[in-house]
Amino acid sequence: MFLQPQLDLANLALVLVMLAALTSLWLAPWLGLLSCAVAVMAFNFHFVPPTGTFQVNFHQHMLLLLAMWLVSAVVTLLVGRQKRLRLHAQQESSRARELRELSEQLRSTDDQDRWGDIFLKHLSGLVQPKALLMLDHDGHPHWRGEHSALEESGLHLCSQMSSPMGPGTGRHDEQPDCYLPLRGSRASHGAVLLPPMPPQWHAHLQSLCDMMGMAMERQHTQQQAQRLRQAEQTQALRSTLLTAIAHDHRTPLATILSAATALRDQGERMGADQQRQLASVIADEAQQLARLTENTLQLARLDTPGVVLQTDWESIEELVGTVARRSRVRHPFMRLRTLVDQGLPLIRCDALLMVQLLDNLMDNAVVHGSVPGEDAVVDIKAVMLDATSRRIRLSVEDRGPGVPDDLQDSLFEVFTRHVGAQGHAGQARRAGAGVGLAVCKAIARVHGWTLRHEAGSSSGASFVLELTAGDAP
Amino acid sequence: MSLTVLLVEDDRELRYTLKATLEVEGYRVHAAASLADAMALLKHAAQTASAHRFDLVLLDLGLPDGDGETLLGHIRATHGMPVLVISAREAEMPKIRLLDAGADDYLVKPFSSAELLARMRVALRHRGQLAQPAITHYVHAGLEVKIDTRQVSRHGQPVHLTPTEFKLLARLVREAGRVVTHRQLLADVWGSDCTEQTQYLRLYMAQLRAKLETHPADPILLLTEPGVGYRLVEAASPDM
Repeated sequence: MFLQPQLDLANLALVLVMLAALTSLWLAPWLGLLSCAVAVMAFNFHFVPPTGTFQVNFHQHMLLLLAMWLVSAVVTLLVGRQKRLRLHAQQESSRARELRELSEQLRSTDDQDRWGDIFLKHLSGLVQPKALLMLDHDGHPHWRGEHSALEESGLHLCSQMSSPMGPGTGRHDEQPDCYLPLRGSRASHGAVLLPPMPPQWHAHLQSLCDMMGMAMERQHTQQQAQRLRQAEQTQALRSTLLTAIAHDHRTPLATILSAATALRDQGERMGADQQRQLASVIADEAQQLARLTENTLQLARLDTPGVVLQTDWESIEELVGTVARRSRVRHPFMRLRTLVDQGLPLIRCDALLMVQLLDNLMDNAVVHGSVPGEDAVVDIKAVMLDATSRRIRLSVEDRGPGVPDDLQDSLFEVFTRHVGAQGHAGQARRAGAGVGLAVCKAIARVHGWTLRHEAGSSSGASFVLELTAGDAP
Repeated sequence: MSLTVLLVEDDRELRYTLKATLEVEGYRVHAAASLADAMALLKHAAQTASAHRFDLVLLDLGLPDGDGETLLGHIRATHGMPVLVISAREAEMPKIRLLDAGADDYLVKPFSSAELLARMRVALRHRGQLAQPAITHYVHAGLEVKIDTRQVSRHGQPVHLTPTEFKLLARLVREAGRVVTHRQLLADVWGSDCTEQTQYLRLYMAQLRAKLETHPADPILLLTEPGVGYRLVEAASPDM
């Protein structure tokens, strides 16, 4: 051949081996081995004397030819193995990347619905998932995808047993589809239904499912911890509230007991006037207690979620009139003016709650909003703020000393204490219970309105309820 | 002639207090602490001479052996005397239902004895053995209403009312001192298929107040019972 003059036999042999190695980079191993054999035969034919024949000088050249073939074969096989290793490494790295990406995406959001989307998207890169079952921390199932009743129970079973089911898994091999559980550290948090796939994909897909399962478990734990914390806080709040309320009840009760026992034990030595006076004290303190109890009950009732209001179309003029009448009975020495705009629209509200709100504001105005030594002067006003949006301003205004600065922020909190001003001569100092204003705020809140405090136009305090009348009946 | 009251109240202290209050006012009181006791007393009274019958029933709803409402039903079905119901919780008490079921009035604990006695007087005037004939002439605090001649005047000056306004006022006058529910007023004035339309009622009551009250937002005649209905204040003088 053309190379013959340039290269001697040995070098030619090496060239052959090189060619064999090169071809095996691209050809399958068995093809590589075959091409080595063919090359060796061709080499024999063309270069090994006697050339032109396949005959071989047994001793000299057989070894050479055999060695050549062996070396070519080994090279071919080694290259083949390298190819496989490289492919394997690529696969491994891409799977690791997928797991990492899934993990990062799951971490990026707390919304379990989004997780379902993310997970399904990742799976669909490999195989199209048919249905997904996710269990939330209460064990309630959330479903994605279409599934039959049989598949539904299959998914539940898979999740409960925490093991894959379907062809090639050793469990329920007769099923057409694969079920993989989303495994956490102790139990599964769901399962996914997949079409049949090559068994070598099982391990990777299970890793993806496990990642999802662990993420769900992490979130459930976090949610549970949060709920426990909240429950603790509520408990602490309730305890403080109960203590405060019990304390507020004790004072009027002490007065009642004292007056009643005086009447009982010393009554015959008292004049009729004094007896009547003591009886009045008992009656007044009992009224006070009744209002305190009513407020406390209302606060508890409004605090529970899903409270239902008895709403109807109510007239502000009527609500104000009712409250004015009731206030006069409770506070006979108060001077009250009602200033209600004509033609105010009817408002949609719970009448009893609104009366309680205004009653409390009135009591507050009388107790805290009076100048010492003088009778309380209180106005109830209702004005239309804006006819198109049907906004109305309802306010209870007093001419007292106003709200002290240090109480401004905590005025509507339950535990605020404020010792009231001295009322009419003979009326005892009364410590303000924090419950009254808190109930007002709660009542405003359940109606979707706001209650706030403003400094009065002519000294004193104004408690302003801004409400919307709602759509016309 | 003294009137006999059936007091149905399970709380011993309250029973004692109410009995004392009523007896001082001249009523004869028979007390029952449970539904069963009350039924027994009613049955016994029905079987004896009319002198021993009850003139009024004071009924606490929270009884140990059942809801007082069942007794109300029984009394209404078989007897004609007025029934006042008592309850401890204002918000939850189905006032309207009770009034529609035949209760004459209701009281929410805690109440003063003055309030109790006043409500009893009003109830007795309207129903039972001593009921006075229906009120046709009402005079109180400057307002005078003559139902037969459809005349209404304030401090001597005639007041013009529309037919609907008059119908509404007349109904309240006939029950003066007692609360009339929204439903009853709507049925009476607008017909029984309008009993949910409280907004009409509110509108007309506002018009009545504007014409008859010095301070419509601080009324002394036409009072609102929130969540329940309206009440025209009982005339002070016995001449009604």
